[in-house]
Amino acid sequence: MSSGTFAVLGLFSDAHKIVEAAKQIRPRKIGRLEAYTPYPVHGLDRAIGLAPSRLGRLVMLMGVVGACLALLFEWWVSAVDYPLVTGGKPLFSWQAFVPVMFEVTVLFATFTAGLAMLFALNKLPFFGHPVLHSRAIKDITRDKLALSIEATGKTFDAEAARQALIDSGAESVEIVPAPSWDRALSLVGFLRTVAAIVAACVVAGAGLFAVEKLMPVVPPMIHMHDQPKLNAFRESAFFADGSGMRPAVAGTVARGHLAPAFATPEEAGTLLSNPLPLTQAIAERGRRVFNDHCAICHGTVGDGVPLLSRAYGGKPGNFLSNEIRARPDGHLFGVLMLGKNAMPSYAADLDKDDRWAAVHYIRILQRAQNAKDEDLQ
Amino acid sequence: MSAPRSLLARNFLLALTVIGAAGTAGVYFSVARERFWVNWLVWTLFLLTLGLGNLFLVALERLVGAHWSVPMRRVPERIASLIPLAVVLLLVALFGVPVIFPWTFPAAAHNPILVAKAAWLNLPFFAIRLAVCAAVWMLLYVFYVRGSLRQDESKDPAFTVRARRLAPAFMVVFFFSVTILAFDWISGLEPEWYSDMFGVYLFAGTFISGIAAMIVGVLSLMRRGRLPEVQTKHVYNLGSLALAFTVFFAYIGFAQYMLIWYANLPEEVSWFKHRIEGAWQPVALLLPLLHFFIPFFLLIGSLGKRHPATLRIAASSILLGHFVNLYWLIFPVLGPTPLFGWPELAMACFFFGLGCLQIRRAMGRGADMPVGDPLLSRGLEWQP
Repeated sequence: MSSGTFAVLGLFSDAHKIVEAAKQIRPRKIGRLEAYTPYPVHGLDRAIGLAPSRLGRLVMLMGVVGACLALLFEWWVSAVDYPLVTGGKPLFSWQAFVPVMFEVTVLFATFTAGLAMLFALNKLPFFGHPVLHSRAIKDITRDKLALSIEATGKTFDAEAARQALIDSGAESVEIVPAPSWDRALSLVGFLRTVAAIVAACVVAGAGLFAVEKLMPVVPPMIHMHDQPKLNAFRESAFFADGSGMRPAVAGTVARGHLAPAFATPEEAGTLLSNPLPLTQAIAERGRRVFNDHCAICHGTVGDGVPLLSRAYGGKPGNFLSNEIRARPDGHLFGVLMLGKNAMPSYAADLDKDDRWAAVHYIRILQRAQNAKDEDLQ
Repeated sequence: MSAPRSLLARNFLLALTVIGAAGTAGVYFSVARERFWVNWLVWTLFLLTLGLGNLFLVALERLVGAHWSVPMRRVPERIASLIPLAVVLLLVALFGVPVIFPWTFPAAAHNPILVAKAAWLNLPFFAIRLAVCAAVWMLLYVFYVRGSLRQDESKDPAFTVRARRLAPAFMVVFFFSVTILAFDWISGLEPEWYSDMFGVYLFAGTFISGIAAMIVGVLSLMRRGRLPEVQTKHVYNLGSLALAFTVFFAYIGFAQYMLIWYANLPEEVSWFKHRIEGAWQPVALLLPLLHFFIPFFLLIGSLGKRHPATLRIAASSILLGHFVNLYWLIFPVLGPTPLFGWPELAMACFFFGLGCLQIRRAMGRGADMPVGDPLLSRGLEWQP
């Protein structure tokens, strides 16, 4: 569309007359009606046949979508992906989710309203509206009301539109030409656009510099941070020993780490027996523990050949040896707990059930290497 | 043609009130005294909050200088006539204070929390607070409502100026008095509980139910052709206001609940625990449904605010929700199960009839529009 008519504008100075004119012209279907007024005119929207905006429904829809997505996300984060009990509350605590749901609803709704209004319904961006280049624009922004018949298709009859506006009482009529792309695409137009972008960057940079470097720094609110409190691993004048962290009471036992009632693995062998039943799940757990913690030195099959390089000079026990096969379960458990020779204690790394599961798995490895005839049948 | 119908309605209301009065007397002598006074309190507060909410709307119009609501202002002024009735009923309720308020019981002297609160919760100070609040409400009611009626004849524009000047002071006094009403007469029923937000909560309920009552009143007058110059655009604004403050009420109500739920302090949580668990749970669920979800989704579109039937359903839902709210706030002091039997119905007949008769009586006073207000013509010509 390099040439031709964009619209025919008729100017009025009376709000009632423009509404009447729109009502007269609209049924003749000459072109799409549009109105430009310096102030809102009651009833003009209906007279030019403006349908109620679809924006409201879109905003409602996206608001509901936002609420549902927020709820889904919070449920997945708090109850599925990273279940962490906070303040003794259930994992799915809808009460705590409502504020976030509300915020996300508002976020989705307002962004939809703003962006859909600008880009979908008002068809931005464009360089300039043709009416802005008309002669009448100064009057329209001052005290005149303009009714415009926009060209729709090739069959648009500008003369008929002009006549219709004059007949319905327009004070003056102007034909607005269609926008010319030549001007927007010329070298001058391109340079002007580049200059505008550069100027925007310079202004933004200068503004940032002024705020960041030149303005005095206002300290943030840190009342909560500065309140009197105890920090673990920090000194504190509150307690006599000068430490913020309290030593554990003598005899304190961490959950799942009962203090051993034995002094040596041999003693453990006489006192303890494996409390876990041998099930598929326990065997699987034992395999995991063994491969993660034991196999690196004792080998994947427990033959005492380390996975580490030959440079490792230690001599890990061979679980398949008759000596270790003869030891009771409690003895193996005791070694895991207390350590032996170069082997450190695993009491801090593995809990009680992990250790017993590993003992089960060691027995499975031993049986696998010393299968009896009936195992093969 | 309308005269016999109106007479019929009046006789029906009279009969309802008389039967209700007889039933109320029966309740007093046959059922536990606590139940009688708790019913009395719920209904008195229901009528009082509707009256106060509408007086607030009248003053709010003066404060912000609104024109659009001037043609409909007689409706809230007439509903505000519930204030003198409800004030009398509340003064009568003073006799019930030693029956239902635990801080008056002898055991309170051994409760360290109540001993600490005794400076506020004692009968003489309680009565003084009520007297001051009642006097303030009556003065404001007489000033705004009777003044507006007098302006019908005098056409004196000076009253409009005076009413606007008093409005800021009205707001301050009103918030304080409603907060005292909420603390004294509702949360005082379980005096160990406290919530700073409770005053705002009752105020939000008062305001939104006041708007709802005004909508019902305006629509019923319009249906009878008594407000011929009030148009959809005026009513539309009422719908917008109702939507906004439906959300405000839900916000305040949920904020109070969520903060207490989060902090999980025993003295705060116990109040909610016996209101949202067990047999009270259905009532607790009914409250957001009637007070928020139904009116919100009916009013969110522009159609709902224009369409009288939709608007009426939304307003009725809010009014019913306001009653359920007061019931849910006050009745749990009687026990873990919601009581609703013949005593409640009898007393509902009595108070409902009394309130309707009072509003009907006020309807006879003055014109249906504030014809003496110089802003009336601007209100009628008002464009959105």
